[in-house]
Amino acid sequence: MNSDPNPSNPPQEIDPTAGSARAPVWLFVLVALLAFWGMGFLDNHGGGFDPLVYKPYKSRKELEEDQPRSGNDAFRKGQKVFDAYCFLCHQATGKGLPNQYPPLAGSDWVQAKDPGRLIRLVLDGIQGTITVNGQQFNSAMPPWKENLTDEDIASVLTYIRGNQEWGNSASQVTPDQVKAIRAKMAGRSTAWSPDELLKVNENE
Amino acid sequence: MTIFLFFALALSWFGLVFEPQLQLGNAQPATNVVNTAELYPQRRPGLAKQGLEVYRSLGCASCHSQQIGQTGRTYDVALTDAGTNRAEVVRALLRVMPEATAVELEKLVAGPMPLKVLKDVTRAVADSAVEKLEPTGAKAVVKVIPTGPDIAHGWGKRRSVAEDFLFDQPVMLGSQRIGPDLADVGSRLPVAEWHLLHLYNPKIVEKKSVMPPYRFLFEKRKTGREPSPDALRFTGEYAPERDCEIVPTDQAKALVAYLLSLRADTVIFETPVTVAVPASTNAPAVSTNAPVAGATNAPPK
Repeated sequence: MNSDPNPSNPPQEIDPTAGSARAPVWLFVLVALLAFWGMGFLDNHGGGFDPLVYKPYKSRKELEEDQPRSGNDAFRKGQKVFDAYCFLCHQATGKGLPNQYPPLAGSDWVQAKDPGRLIRLVLDGIQGTITVNGQQFNSAMPPWKENLTDEDIASVLTYIRGNQEWGNSASQVTPDQVKAIRAKMAGRSTAWSPDELLKVNENE
Repeated sequence: MTIFLFFALALSWFGLVFEPQLQLGNAQPATNVVNTAELYPQRRPGLAKQGLEVYRSLGCASCHSQQIGQTGRTYDVALTDAGTNRAEVVRALLRVMPEATAVELEKLVAGPMPLKVLKDVTRAVADSAVEKLEPTGAKAVVKVIPTGPDIAHGWGKRRSVAEDFLFDQPVMLGSQRIGPDLADVGSRLPVAEWHLLHLYNPKIVEKKSVMPPYRFLFEKRKTGREPSPDALRFTGEYAPERDCEIVPTDQAKALVAYLLSLRADTVIFETPVTVAVPASTNAPAVSTNAPVAGATNAPPK
């Protein structure tokens, strides 16, 4: 800085310089708290960034619950039955567990044109090596005829057969269909084996 | 420093401009819930579109907003059909309404339907009530009721959403509320003649109104051999001289057509609300001179 041509006349005053000071800790804490609060606020009021969700709804799910309900009550009921009895093995995604429990999503057994075998399978259970979508599974499913009513079974089968989230789109099952097969199979006390089931005509 | 400034501005541009454009920029009319065959919203008819320009030029938006807010929602449960097994229904009702007595309920169940079972409850309570009632063969419904100060005013049945403004250019949202909100005025006050009288002199229909009269939208002229079919029909002190009549200009007709086309009563996915009768669609009434027989002109309290 010393550009004075005359060295015998040094500058009396030095230019002020900026030092550095430590930023107070409370400022960081305050910013962190504000950011935390902001995230929480966004989470509660942002509607999940869904363009269709407006105040006072907080998520698409809440909004869907308030839509007028009509028609497929069996499907909704079936979901409840599934969540209570089936999801432990077959999982909420319907994909089952590899090498243990067979999938329902995309399964050729589930999506059969007529639900005759499926109803028998749920009523009396199944045991033995079963081939689902080309994969073999060997475990047992308990009989449900004591625990589930005709309506429960019909609705849960409607749910797994028609669940589009799983990619299934088979027809509904009515309580009357279950009732008929339950009456026909009243004497049976053992679980089905897959081979035995395959011999049953689907639409009976 | 500059880089921070740039990020601060870029971030808010993303949040306030870019993201909404991504979400709503391509919005298409779609989700009419009650009448699925019909899309919502529909374009306004030509006269109403001209009315929007009149609305804009008169500065109506500086005193009237067009946006209904909603702060919450509540649920009612109603029994629509008691079925055949009355005793079983009464037993289920006793579990749902513990404060009522069996004798009362028997009388109610035998009475007219729908019967209000629960009022002002949460969704979970309403759902569990329906679950208790339905196995008895009775039919019960959960009603969704939006709440909030605007809805309590009677300005509309549901909140306004982006979809409502899809075809408006410009959107006359308004921010001041010196007068009432007009987002649903077409279904709240569906009579064209009411609007014409109100524009001519607001005090005719609303004694306490602070709205200025818009007489220049009307023409005062000598009555011909026959009175004009469009002429306003006055009662009492506001009537013009004996041989004169007050006739709305095209501007007034267009403005009224626009006001009648302002309807936010179609139930769409974003705004669930249980309507008593399937709401008529948002097709606005275009006629400006035929009063609806028997319709009341009184604004809702």
